[in-house]
Amino acid sequence: MDLSSVFFIGNIMNLERIPNEEKLSLCRRYYLGGFAFLPFLWLVNVLWFFREAFLKPTYTEQLQIKSYVKKSALGLIVWVAVLTTWITIFQHFRAQWGEVGDYLSFTIPLGTA
Amino acid sequence: MYGVLGLLLTSGENLMSRVMCVSSAAGVCSSSVEQKIYVELNETVPCVRLLNATHQIGCQSSMSGDTGVLHVLETQSDLDWILSSGPHPPYMVIMETAFFNRSVMMRMKNSSRVSGVAVIVSKTGLAQNFSPHTTCPNQNTGVYVYSESYGSELANCNVTVWNPLGNGLSYEDFSFPVFALKDENQTQVIRKCYEDHNQRVNGSAPHYPLCAMQLFSHMHAVTDTVTCMRRTDLQNRFSINPEVLCDPLSDFNVWTSTRPLNSSAKGHAANESVVIAAARLDGRSFFWEQAPAAEGTVSGIITLLAAIQALYPVTQEAPPPRNIFFTFFQGEAFDYIGSSKMVYDMEKNDFVIDLKNVHSILEIGQVGLHSGRSLWMHSDPVSRKNDSVNEAVSEMMNRMESAAAGLSVSVGHPSFSQPLPPSSLQRFLRAGPIPGLVLADHQKSFSNRYYESMYDDAENLNVTYPPGLTPDEQLVYETDAAKVCDSCGCVAQLLYGFLVQKNNSWFRSLLLSAGPGPPQFYIGLGPRIHGPVHSVTRFVQYILANLTGTVTNLTESQCQNPSELSTENKDLFSYFWVSGPASVNSTGEPFCVRASVRLSEAVSPAFELLEYGSRNYSTWTESRWKSIRARIFLVASRELEVMQHRWS
Repeated sequence: MDLSSVFFIGNIMNLERIPNEEKLSLCRRYYLGGFAFLPFLWLVNVLWFFREAFLKPTYTEQLQIKSYVKKSALGLIVWVAVLTTWITIFQHFRAQWGEVGDYLSFTIPLGTA
Repeated sequence: MYGVLGLLLTSGENLMSRVMCVSSAAGVCSSSVEQKIYVELNETVPCVRLLNATHQIGCQSSMSGDTGVLHVLETQSDLDWILSSGPHPPYMVIMETAFFNRSVMMRMKNSSRVSGVAVIVSKTGLAQNFSPHTTCPNQNTGVYVYSESYGSELANCNVTVWNPLGNGLSYEDFSFPVFALKDENQTQVIRKCYEDHNQRVNGSAPHYPLCAMQLFSHMHAVTDTVTCMRRTDLQNRFSINPEVLCDPLSDFNVWTSTRPLNSSAKGHAANESVVIAAARLDGRSFFWEQAPAAEGTVSGIITLLAAIQALYPVTQEAPPPRNIFFTFFQGEAFDYIGSSKMVYDMEKNDFVIDLKNVHSILEIGQVGLHSGRSLWMHSDPVSRKNDSVNEAVSEMMNRMESAAAGLSVSVGHPSFSQPLPPSSLQRFLRAGPIPGLVLADHQKSFSNRYYESMYDDAENLNVTYPPGLTPDEQLVYETDAAKVCDSCGCVAQLLYGFLVQKNNSWFRSLLLSAGPGPPQFYIGLGPRIHGPVHSVTRFVQYILANLTGTVTNLTESQCQNPSELSTENKDLFSYFWVSGPASVNSTGEPFCVRASVRLSEAVSPAFELLEYGSRNYSTWTESRWKSIRARIFLVASRELEVMQHRWS
């Protein structure tokens, strides 16, 4: 990555000098991309556009940006709940599941059940 | 504050020394700071994890070793200190011999204040009996199994408990490491560290710094053989860096016959009626690869070898009507690995003979401790309900009695309804009714008070040598045990070689190089893991070749490839290149011996059939591990103790 692209991304992260339509389209792209089993895109969306959506004075696109941020946050919470539940169940019951547990595992710890 | 500085200094120095170590020239690289902290204990023997179809047994440590403050267990108050009142748990227990019994070990197992045990192995304080094996050996894979209809009332040692002194410690599962300290000098080092730092003064607790010990014996396999083999398969198929978790116990059986059998012709051998004379070749104990097995195994091996030496020349001159098939079974301690494999091969027509060729079986069990010169012939009551079998067995017994009458040995038979003791004959009976006898020195329960333990050694058999003899003199010294047989020349040498020292001049002349001390009879993991044949199997193979073979004048290359010569037959014989007896001036001239001694694989049929949860065959495997070691060091405080062993 050369220096110019670093500055470019720095500008992107800044969001100051980007026109509002581009902000809206970025937010929408991240929102739609999160449906491809990519909850991190929703996380990034929420963190990045939170100030834009709720703390800046209103402008025309802000309403839509707000809705996208809220929907991303909802999707993110659902994902976190599902993953937490599954991880807890798996860690607790993997040893008891025997064969099924072994087939579901990527690496199996040595020496413990 | 001082502790943190000390920790930083230690770890910083460790790091520095490691960096300097790496960047120095490639030669001996010793981290001198580490040497100043830790004293490595090199002469220790671990207890490892073994698994079968349903359980795991043995010991396990955590991945970065188990650490504990040392405490020597000599008195009952020490036991209370360790288990309840001592202020520095967890403790690493240095256990005197007298305390290594079931009740103490179970209390240790159930306590959370014990992080490991190191047992001092010595004869002082040894109890009158100690057998870590179960009371009913191999009760699920013999012929009297509760679920089958064959003598189910005789199953589970209902009639006779064969090993009543057994405490079953070898078959318990411990979650902390248990090591054995066999070297007296090393034990002294540990005791000195304990006396200098950990000893209680006037009943008050000792202060930091304290002497601590760390034991590493992390085992990879877990739960049972089925799980371990499944995980190994998964690793082999899907992992970039596959790791094997456990290996099946396997080795080789050794067999020979008075008339050579064609080894390339498998299945039923025409016009062959064979009498099998068998003995077992292995033993075990609580600790890994320690099994002197003097009364349990060596007595049978030497008896059969002496019989072969006496019989073989006679059978060559005047061949008997039936072929005699001598065999030594490996792995009998672990649910009859060797004999089940041989019976399986016979049933599948994959062996030189099959079960229809077998006329009768005579097995030599534990025969070393016969008091009053009496032996007992055990037979199977269920198969003797069949008239022809009963007749054959009675005839065998009569012949034994008449042979014994001329030798001032009295031979008796126990009551008719008593089942067979644990023996390889039981596996043959599972395949069909075959007349057979098991010779033993016990009528009901074993006479062996140290069955399958580390203390079943030469002293248990009363084989002792007067002090002051050189090794060569000891080799030929006739102890009382050796004087039993007049015409067997080599019994004294066999006793010395199998019970006291395997690195003797006779074994060396057979091209057998071995380490010092007596041979250990644990089966091990076979040729895939341990290289060529296990040492005890090789000893028996070469000694048999020495006793029954003929010297040929083939050169070394001809000896390796005898099929090129028309006079030699590779199907009937095997060829051994042995170095001759060494004398003071020369190293001996090697020569080629031709003998009909062969090896047959002794791996449980469960692993060939891939039935890892089998109830019919042995499923014993041994776990793998990365490193097994032990070390002692001083800990300055509780925090440093926890952090120190994690950093290292």
